[in-house]
Amino acid sequence: MTCEEARALLLDARRGRLSAGMQAALDAHLAGCAACAHENAADALLGEALEGRLPQHAAPLALKRRLAASWSAGDALPSPPPVARPTAPSSARAAWGARWRRAVVPALAAAVLVLALVPLYYRQAGDGGAGMVTEAVNDHLRLLTAQHPLDIESGGIHQVKPWFEGRLDFAPVVRFEGDADFPLRGGAIGYYLDRKAAVFVFNRRLHVVTLLVFPAQGLPWPRRGLERIGPVEAQVTASRGFNTILWREGDLGYALVSDVDRTDLLALLGKLAASS
Amino acid sequence: MTGGGGREEDALGREALAYADALHNLARYLTGHASDAEDLVQETYARALSAAHQFTPGTNLKAWLFRILRNTFLSHHRHERHNPTVGGLDTVVAVAPSPESARWLRGDVELDRLRKVVGEEIERALESLSEEARTVILLDLEGLTEVEVAQVVGCAVGTVKSRLARARAALREKLRDYAP
Repeated sequence: MTCEEARALLLDARRGRLSAGMQAALDAHLAGCAACAHENAADALLGEALEGRLPQHAAPLALKRRLAASWSAGDALPSPPPVARPTAPSSARAAWGARWRRAVVPALAAAVLVLALVPLYYRQAGDGGAGMVTEAVNDHLRLLTAQHPLDIESGGIHQVKPWFEGRLDFAPVVRFEGDADFPLRGGAIGYYLDRKAAVFVFNRRLHVVTLLVFPAQGLPWPRRGLERIGPVEAQVTASRGFNTILWREGDLGYALVSDVDRTDLLALLGKLAASS
Repeated sequence: MTGGGGREEDALGREALAYADALHNLARYLTGHASDAEDLVQETYARALSAAHQFTPGTNLKAWLFRILRNTFLSHHRHERHNPTVGGLDTVVAVAPSPESARWLRGDVELDRLRKVVGEEIERALESLSEEARTVILLDLEGLTEVEVAQVVGCAVGTVKSRLARARAALREKLRDYAP
């Protein structure tokens, strides 16, 4: 298999579209070709970025309301030239259009109602934390698998925190310096959803604990299932074998992730919250 | 629409509404402007309504609506504004890496960059691509198969595969520009 042939198959391979034989041939090529392996890794990361981080522009509610109002009133919609020439008689077209409007108007009205009510429900219920937990766990996993997870090795919190100056557009507030139970290993610049984050890495025995600090504004913070822990209200969850704690203080959001026991993680939260 | 009773048509209408967000997203990335995107979606639904008899039940309504939207965009917007790239993907060779970029690609710099790129940067890079590139990338993201993308953009299936590969390579090249 040539490099050109291999690269033409990379996307299909990642989407499971190749036959077993073709997949085996591609795997063999990738194992022996660093350039194609790099192409595969880079295109996979591009796919992750597109699927997870590219902003999505949903249709505004006002647009849907306009369509619904216009159609329910029976107003003449713009009648531009058809994309392809119609072949059916105009009377049949009009009859079908009328039936389609009858189908569309109630559905549009229902859609508008749902779209109006769902945000209200979530504003009340505040169940938007699932995506935030997933992102926090993903960030923790990325850190665990990174070859060089720390941008700054710890010489203590007073060395780590100043390192962030000029690298972030906010000042992470973390006053806990680490101790014998939770030594501070260091810090790094990370990304949490669509924004930069300060990453602090603590140890608990041989376990790694990741603390992400990021601007809190505009995120779907959970409002249900919160626990009062010291001065903060936090959501404590378990996901994919990791315990996660989300909380916010002022303009900053915090996510604490590790595979340590919930009790240990709560103990660290207690130290962090008491110090901030 | 080729025959079928009112029940099928009701279902068609409901299904069409479910694609409003996806259509608006593509419209937003094609036009580059919120108000233009709304106009484009509205016109797309109007055209779909007037041409609904042409839709064949059992075929892909989503792809059909995307095709109407893209054709509408091309007929009204392409030469007006906000389209920074002239020419199609098939004529663009800039995605072929230069020797310098090839050296750069060999390292881990690109991988690190792609891990850290944020949404705003991807959006800017995507919007700087040609209309064809943006379209195939976004339709692929929407989950359309290569056959369906080919129906939307009006080309052969094999062409879609090569266009998509070139478009993704071009996007990676653009994202290099945002490297810190």
